[in-house]
Amino acid sequence: MNKRNVVLGLALTATLALTACSGGGGTSSNGGGGGGTGADPGDGGTLHVLQTADFSHLDPTMGFDGGVNNFYRLIYRTLTTQSTGEGAEGTEIVPDLATDLGTPSEDGLTWTFTLKDDIFFEDGSPITSADVKFGVERSFDPELAIGTPYARLTLAGADEYEGPYSDGDFASIETPDEKTIVFHLAKPYNDFSSVVGQNVFVPFPADGDVTATSVDQQPIASGPYRVESYTPGSELTLVRNEHWEKSSDDVRAAKPDSFVWTFGLDGATIDERMIAGQDDDVNAIAGSVQAASISRIQTPAIKDRTVSGVQGCTTYLGLNTTKQYTSNPLVRQAISYAIDKSAVQSATGGTLLADIATTMLPPTIAGQKEFDLYPSEDNAGDVEKATELLAEAGYPDGFPLVLDVRNQPKMQAQAEAVQQSLSKVGIDVSFNLIDTATYYEVIGTTSQQNDAAITGWCPDWSTGATFLPPLFDGRQIYEKGNSNIAQINDPAVNARIDEINAMTDLDEANAAWGDLDEQIAELAPTVPLLFEKAVMVVGENVAGAYSHAGFSGGIDYVSVGLENASE
Amino acid sequence: MVGYLARRLLSALGILLLISLFTYVIFFLLSPDPAVLICGKTCTPDRIDQIRGTLGLDQPFWVQFWDFLRGFFVGRTYGDGASAVSCPAPCLGFSFQTNRSVTEMIETRLPVSATVALGAAVLWLLAGVGAGLLSAVKQGTWWDRGAMMFALGGISLPNYFVALILQYVLVVQMQILPFPSAVPFGEDPVRWFQSYLMPWLVLAFGYAAVYARLVRANVLDTLGENFLRTARAKGLSGRLILRRHALRPSLTPVVTMFGMDFAGLLGGALITETVFGLNGVGKLAADSIAKNDQPVIMGVTLLAAFFVVIGNVIVDITYTFLDPRVRIATR
Repeated sequence: MNKRNVVLGLALTATLALTACSGGGGTSSNGGGGGGTGADPGDGGTLHVLQTADFSHLDPTMGFDGGVNNFYRLIYRTLTTQSTGEGAEGTEIVPDLATDLGTPSEDGLTWTFTLKDDIFFEDGSPITSADVKFGVERSFDPELAIGTPYARLTLAGADEYEGPYSDGDFASIETPDEKTIVFHLAKPYNDFSSVVGQNVFVPFPADGDVTATSVDQQPIASGPYRVESYTPGSELTLVRNEHWEKSSDDVRAAKPDSFVWTFGLDGATIDERMIAGQDDDVNAIAGSVQAASISRIQTPAIKDRTVSGVQGCTTYLGLNTTKQYTSNPLVRQAISYAIDKSAVQSATGGTLLADIATTMLPPTIAGQKEFDLYPSEDNAGDVEKATELLAEAGYPDGFPLVLDVRNQPKMQAQAEAVQQSLSKVGIDVSFNLIDTATYYEVIGTTSQQNDAAITGWCPDWSTGATFLPPLFDGRQIYEKGNSNIAQINDPAVNARIDEINAMTDLDEANAAWGDLDEQIAELAPTVPLLFEKAVMVVGENVAGAYSHAGFSGGIDYVSVGLENASE
Repeated sequence: MVGYLARRLLSALGILLLISLFTYVIFFLLSPDPAVLICGKTCTPDRIDQIRGTLGLDQPFWVQFWDFLRGFFVGRTYGDGASAVSCPAPCLGFSFQTNRSVTEMIETRLPVSATVALGAAVLWLLAGVGAGLLSAVKQGTWWDRGAMMFALGGISLPNYFVALILQYVLVVQMQILPFPSAVPFGEDPVRWFQSYLMPWLVLAFGYAAVYARLVRANVLDTLGENFLRTARAKGLSGRLILRRHALRPSLTPVVTMFGMDFAGLLGGALITETVFGLNGVGKLAADSIAKNDQPVIMGVTLLAAFFVVIGNVIVDITYTFLDPRVRIATR
């Protein structure tokens, strides 16, 4: 679920399949239909994963994207984690190493967690509160601080602390005994239960010889598997961590005896192999198929082996509110009416690969509110209404608009669909093509941004708290690395963000984010386009595979297994 | 001869230095800020500055370049105190994306590229020179036309196309070969051969085509020379003329071309490796470009340049043995 912009981009491009993940428990039928995917996995066997790119990092303090987060759950545990299951069921936060979701103090500034019994590292030593504390402390080391930022954003005194290697003990985390850990926050944070499910809350032995760089080379497992061998860029093998106790873990089914990743495969070749399903590939899973392969997986036999689900992200058109034309809300509303979302959907690969979005918050977000402020028949755009608004804004003949486009087939197709719909209301869209590798950097640099850009956002966990503020908080507009690409700075929105963040009741806050989504939509700083989906073909012998919305729609690794382990 | 060699090596070194300067300028000054890319989501200006500091990007360009050069020849140490990391010579820095040593990344992938290059080279030399000779000797026959048709195909079909067709036919349809993967020779020689066979065939097809045409043209040219007319007039057999007198002058240009092509391939067969999912240097280059991972791009570029420059020197030296005229000139 969390991803850096870059990786977000990758996830949004069906061509670069993110990690396939395995999923859980065969609790429900999957998008593509039954077959082996829905059956319960048996114990044992080796599950193969075919993947285009290697994981960014084995050290959880550094890795931070849907694919690697999914993988981390096999070897690491955090205080809380996401549940298993399809859709919103899977993105719910549940206890992992902790016995419950934590207890906040009256003032909301202190959160206390108690660790479960029977939790061990791969060498058999018990995991204590000091180990959890050390794991969090490590993430403050400047060398490692490129992962999930939520410990830095929430804990008191985070600005002055640079990790255990230079600053020693971090006073904001207390460990009164081996089982209890207390966090002191800078200000109340109602959703701190989700924060402690982030990768930087993975424990590492406090009294061991773990250095800043050692974990990335040799991870220390707290989850059901440990790394047996790793050839960066080529292969990774996981085997069982004998010291992991099933009784202490309600989330991970962990059925296979081992996992083998093969990295560096061409996307088209992966599709070819998954469709062919020869030899070991009957026990294999992979990331989302390429749009070009969609037509080839329509045969009944392959459909039986297909799993699909939403990525939990939103693809949207950001309108730069600092530019001449798009600074006018009427113009932005006109654009919102004019865009033919069904054409954008077709350009993306059709209904199999994307649902149409009318809200910024995707349906997997707790508290998401359904609404459509700019409706049109069949989502094909309302030219009349848009023309009216443009006339009212003083541009009856339209105007030129420069759209930043990622130089990649799918995103270009989406841009062309936008271009065509806007040409119907006189808006003349020209493209500024940007290299795939630097796209998110360019549109995140305020001085280089043009009038509009097509991009996407995935939340760090499934509430509005990690979705709306980064995109719409006017006080978080940065010259570089900016995520509020609409550059909207609306006092009412800013104030509401603060109010919701200060709410102590999580359900109330979640519902409030849903309402805020609508409040923002009235200003039309962005046009939600699509909720893109992941579509994966799995091997014939794979069981319990489903798409987890918290991991970019990848197959939930901790739930998937083999139907027949001896095959 | 020693002086000639020294001069050649010195100029090669100069060229490599120039190339490294150019690549450094292109990748480090003209391309966007890698710190922002690493910073990613939920990024702040402070974080960007911090990352720039960690990567050494806050230093002036000349300092960065000098550190890079020094690192290559004598090694260097990154960071200080407890988190210091030493990078022994030849140090090419660390990947921005994975923090791994670029030198190590290249070392682990070079054997794959070398295997691809060697196997392909053997095939294309045999096929290219063979087909060229056959064509020349049997000029105008169906042998000639067939070989040249084949060559035309090799030159005009892009190798990614040939690769996908071959994979579809041999692996998916006929299931004669497995999907390629970089299996080490020691692990399973049969599987190793099967895995590399397709990349070899694909690469060799393209190169052999060029060689066949070159050899054919050269042999035909040489056969028309006066000294061969003389030889024929003296009554030497056609076979002897071909072997003794025609082949050697015809093949010397092939040596030049082979040296350059082979050296270029050692630096990675980018497309072939990517299509077949072989984790060689070419695949590394493709991946690092996609991620804007500058130190790795820099490393593979320099490696490729190194092979080409060195290949050039070796070709020149080989020439002095093959061609007496060059030998006189270099004295």
